[in-house]
Amino acid sequence: MTATTAILLAGCAGASPATTESTPVAGGTLTYATGFGEPTCLDPHVGGNMPQALLGTNVLESLFSQDADGAIVPWLATAGTPSADGLSWDITLRDDVTFTDGTPFDAEAVKANVEHMKDPATASSTAILALGKVADVEVVDPTTARFVLSEPDSALLESLAQTWLAMESPAGLTRSQEENCEAPIGTGPFTVESWTKQDNVTLVRNESYNSSPTGAAHEGTAYLDKIVWRFIPDPATRFAALQAGQVDVIDEMQPDNVVTATSSEDLAVLQGALPGASIRLELNSGYAPFDDERVRKAFIASADVNPGIESLFFGTVERSYSVLSTSTPYGASYEDDFAIDVDKANTLLDEAGWTTRDADGYRTKDGQRLTVDFPISTNQSIPAEQSLFEQIQATTKEVGFDVQLHPLDLSSWYASLAAWDFGVTSAIYTKNSADVLRILYDSANIQPAPSGYHPNHSHVDIPELDELLTKAGQTTDADERAAAYADAQKILSDGAYVLPLYDHLQKIGYRTSVQGLSLLPTLQLPYLADAWVQ
Amino acid sequence: MTHTVGNDGAEAAVRAPTPSLPTPTPELRRSSRSRGWVIVRGVLLRIGGGLFVLWAAATLTFFGLRLIPGDPAQAILGGPGSQASAEALAQVRADYGLDQPIWVQYIAQLGRLATGDLGTSYSLRSPVAEVIGAQIGGTLLLAALALIVAWAIALGLAVWSTRGGRIAAAVGSTLEIVAAAVPHFWLATVLVLVFSTALRWFPAVSTAGPEGLVLPVLTLALPLAGFLGQVMRESVLDALSAPFVLSARARGESENGVRWRHVLRHGSLPGIALSGWAFGFLVSGAVVVETIFARPGLGRTLLNAVQLRDVPLVVGVVLVVALGYVIMTVATDAASRLADPRLRRQGVAL
Repeated sequence: MTATTAILLAGCAGASPATTESTPVAGGTLTYATGFGEPTCLDPHVGGNMPQALLGTNVLESLFSQDADGAIVPWLATAGTPSADGLSWDITLRDDVTFTDGTPFDAEAVKANVEHMKDPATASSTAILALGKVADVEVVDPTTARFVLSEPDSALLESLAQTWLAMESPAGLTRSQEENCEAPIGTGPFTVESWTKQDNVTLVRNESYNSSPTGAAHEGTAYLDKIVWRFIPDPATRFAALQAGQVDVIDEMQPDNVVTATSSEDLAVLQGALPGASIRLELNSGYAPFDDERVRKAFIASADVNPGIESLFFGTVERSYSVLSTSTPYGASYEDDFAIDVDKANTLLDEAGWTTRDADGYRTKDGQRLTVDFPISTNQSIPAEQSLFEQIQATTKEVGFDVQLHPLDLSSWYASLAAWDFGVTSAIYTKNSADVLRILYDSANIQPAPSGYHPNHSHVDIPELDELLTKAGQTTDADERAAAYADAQKILSDGAYVLPLYDHLQKIGYRTSVQGLSLLPTLQLPYLADAWVQ
Repeated sequence: MTHTVGNDGAEAAVRAPTPSLPTPTPELRRSSRSRGWVIVRGVLLRIGGGLFVLWAAATLTFFGLRLIPGDPAQAILGGPGSQASAEALAQVRADYGLDQPIWVQYIAQLGRLATGDLGTSYSLRSPVAEVIGAQIGGTLLLAALALIVAWAIALGLAVWSTRGGRIAAAVGSTLEIVAAAVPHFWLATVLVLVFSTALRWFPAVSTAGPEGLVLPVLTLALPLAGFLGQVMRESVLDALSAPFVLSARARGESENGVRWRHVLRHGSLPGIALSGWAFGFLVSGAVVVETIFARPGLGRTLLNAVQLRDVPLVVGVVLVVALGYVIMTVATDAASRLADPRLRRQGVAL
């Protein structure tokens, strides 16, 4: 228990700059090795995933940022004011910022960026979704951009704070997509110098940088001359390279490596919870057997995850009882709804008509076995997590569930979700706003997009919940918003649609020769403008 | 033994009578003109066989990738935490011709391939030929070094274990079996833990200098050396008991002379024949090794492309590998003829 606390404390301490003892020195190269994968395009408007956001944070900046509590703070914009009816927002901008190609940052640039994100030819998926309610951007004057909305959007400024909606040079955007993908032009502390595919992206310091985000340890140009951004997919190799000093910083650390690094003099760990949804099991309530609330409750009452979380993760994560990440405001925990009670689970299954057992001990009804298919994305679930799912399989077997684990690659996993071919699954959704609840649990998102993708994996279809989520997404009254989100989460908890497990942690390992490393709160991504190497 | 191994499938195809070609009469067979025709026919058959292999590889890959679950359009735009909009998907489907029936897509793809156009990668949005051109060097270097190192280890082990008595033979054969059975991913992890994390001799991931090549090359070379060593040791033993060794000794040849000049030449024959197969082994190993050691190369390109259902890129890489395999088969065949005079005589009889 003491060890657990120590590691978690080390993680919390990391949210602020890692060390403040020595004086920063300018110069030097930092090698960052990512396990999130290599983007196919460095412009985060195109597509829009985590690898792009990670790299993009060093090059591109957003209109707004968030502080450690998730509150909106200015960045390239100085303020955002809604109209009385909530149907337009006047965003005022800094007048002293230029893109690294010399193009001035102004309202015209904001308009060009929104148009670029909404243009089908850009093939945006994340940004275009976040801008769903934005009908148009009007240039009021060079430092005022008016966002005209089709309906009120309480999450607009949070959306605009994400790196996927970062501001790029309008001159850069007029280049071909190939060119812009190779080296997007922003206002950030670094610029893209070169990209050697499957090897590294080299970033160099922006010498005229003047737009540090709120909360940065220092203003002005970055300390580092250069960042070599490497792609090392294998977690064991990535950690070995860090231990050997071949790289200075790594992400996507495995739990056992976190423990090793914490007890090493040369290494340290920086942790933060990715915002959005927690890592959780979604029970598919649209199809048998989980269309019966009693069966869902029996599953949750028998899926004993706490021992597994403690042993498999070596105390590096804490059990969560909330659908929302701890770094996302408005999260609510209803711990009692997730108590383990084998007797209750058995009673519920008896009541639901699963009264007989077959030779293997699994419950049956009308000759059908109580089977729950569980597709697992091996891209998203780390080995410790996959072992945890095996433990869930074992504990739910005691009351008669036959959980079938199916490890799949990303494309096959998406395909099985699209076909509703699962009883339970675990999906990641990163978004810096409680509005993620609307995306995941509004009945409108049961309807598949043409791709077949539907974010509402639990197949939750409750008009009252839809109403609460719509209200929370439109109101500009903070108390009203909080109450609506709390009620919405209570409905999810009462209906046993979701089993929260733990926060999706950003686990950054670094050599102690690296100083000033921190996480930018908006998406909990590493911020390197304050970092220097000794 | 060596004889059968030396005559691989390609050679058998050359000898097999083909109904579509006129069978030369015995009189013509003796004339020099007919000998020229036989050579031309052999070359044509080889080219035809090679083209068939390439077509089959492209076709199997295309349908294989399209039949497993996963929508390429979704994969182009998708990824953890992102979600494709209707407009974006429609755009992508139209851009890449994914809205066409699969047969139309297949014919179109084949048509492009026939003109030498490998197409454009779905995920990287650049020409497949360019992607392969940029990545092939790393893989070829890795494979070539691994092949050389594997040969050196296998030869050394074969010579040492056949002359060092019963214990050496037992140790040699055990080492070979263990090496051949070890999976690449396991060997790579062990090598990193020992030589990078613990001893700090070699870096765990690729570097600009040659030191970064040591562990990846060893990972690829050791299992291959196990395979090569097993077949070579057997044929070295065969050769040692052959009459020509006795006559060489009778001529007063030294033990080293016997081994290096006569026995190894004999013993290397199955190894040479296996080198064509070894190329395929090395390329499949490169998928694992390049991923673990974070090296740029075709193997890693292939893995990413399969995961993204990037059909043009997968087909392109598979075609290049198949072409390499065809070339290697021809080359090992020629090398076998150089090392084995009996095959040269048969070549004349053909």
